[in-house]
Amino acid sequence: MSNLGFALDGAWRVLLAGLALGAGLPILFALGIRSLAWSAAGPAPRVAARVAGYGLFAIVLLGIALGITFIVATGFGKALSFEHIYPTIVAKKH
Amino acid sequence: MILALVIVTALAFDFTNGFHDTANAMATTIATKALKPRAAVALSGVLNLVGAFLSVQVALTVTNAVVKIQNSDGTPKGSLTAGGGEALLLIILAGLVGGIIWNLLTWLLGLPSSSSHALFGGLIGATVAGLGWAGVKWNGDGSKLDGVVGKVLLPAVVSPVIAGVVAAVGTWVIFKIVAGVAVRYTRQGFKWGQIGSASLVSLAHGTNDAQKTMGVITLALIASGHWADTKSIPLWVKVACAVAIALGTYLGGWRIIRTLGKGLVDIAPAQGMAAQSASAAVILASSHLGFALSTTHVATGSVLGSGVGRPAGEVRWRVAGRMVLAWLITLPAAGLVGAAMWWVGDLIGGLAGALVVFLILVASATAMWRRSRRVPVGEHNVNDDWNPAVAGAAVPERVAVTAAN
Repeated sequence: MSNLGFALDGAWRVLLAGLALGAGLPILFALGIRSLAWSAAGPAPRVAARVAGYGLFAIVLLGIALGITFIVATGFGKALSFEHIYPTIVAKKH
Repeated sequence: MILALVIVTALAFDFTNGFHDTANAMATTIATKALKPRAAVALSGVLNLVGAFLSVQVALTVTNAVVKIQNSDGTPKGSLTAGGGEALLLIILAGLVGGIIWNLLTWLLGLPSSSSHALFGGLIGATVAGLGWAGVKWNGDGSKLDGVVGKVLLPAVVSPVIAGVVAAVGTWVIFKIVAGVAVRYTRQGFKWGQIGSASLVSLAHGTNDAQKTMGVITLALIASGHWADTKSIPLWVKVACAVAIALGTYLGGWRIIRTLGKGLVDIAPAQGMAAQSASAAVILASSHLGFALSTTHVATGSVLGSGVGRPAGEVRWRVAGRMVLAWLITLPAAGLVGAAMWWVGDLIGGLAGALVVFLILVASATAMWRRSRRVPVGEHNVNDDWNPAVAGAAVPERVAVTAAN
């Protein structure tokens, strides 16, 4: 395969991951803000919307934690593996 | 003695790398006033410092992607280490000087160009001058993404587009979601969203970019016989590089922050968060997949994308065009300076040659710094409205500077 092939192969993976994490997480965050605002908008507080809002924030925080874990793991010469679906830290392949 | 010059120059490059790239993480955060300018650069500086110390892995083979001055295990090529490694040291010195001069010039013009391109460009130029065209690894061997084309050129074309698409999608959806939500909720929420995502970018920057300089200095130490271990980096090198990049970040490349935060698009808080999240995700995802890219290209692509995705948003394509032009010429321009420096150093030869190269660097850096004082940009005016009239008046001057160089 040529360099161009490798680059395009890498590019669509980065695009997918970028859309999932880079656009997906902030969208969840915005939904959380909307839920919180809506929960306080009516005459009586809407508890379910409040819980949903904080739930969404929690998911975003998990995403950020994943990002930090990745940076630290890479710094120590490890890699994150997603083969068990949930991320695990493994030795880096070379 | 030449070794000392190389180390000082490498740390100087690391420093310019820091202040050139502050904007990547913090420009949007400063432009939307989520953080005060000083607080933003301080946060970014600290995270770069932490990030640099986190990089335990040895990036000794950093030059292997583009030039053939090292064996695959990181030791310098035997032919270059004769006589205290002077031949190798001169190539590294000339390459670093090429990178620094180009970084300073683009900073003076307020253009966010890639520091890694400047470094690679300088090294490629110096290698071509020193070893001929065959000394450069142009296209790799076809077994993986490698060489100048695979590690530098293709990612530079692809990564801003990816980041732009991600940021545009994110911005567009977020604006739809929060339409009609009271400002008191969105302001506070997006403030924290921006600080969080910008912090991730800073941390990732520290781990990636400080490592390159650490690798270059260690290579110089090995070439001159002051270090033998290819599996570790001397502690003082690590500390010096971490501090240099953090100080540079803290100094803040205000001109570039201004271009990226105010010049390209007018950034709303939601946009800032979408752009920074896109940058963070693309940088981390691609380094996970072994796809080398420049933080600068990603950050700029994200900011542009967030302007495209915002309903009724406006992108100043003229500013964007100037920037793309700067990207295109970064590699060859830094290469030319690197090559010229090598010829000067080689012509004079030995320690005197290296000294002259170093003095040229000091002189041109001073000249550009003095020049920057005429129209200073700092935390006091970094957020002023982007005024095309003023910017237009400054353009002829800028052209003159380019011509003079």
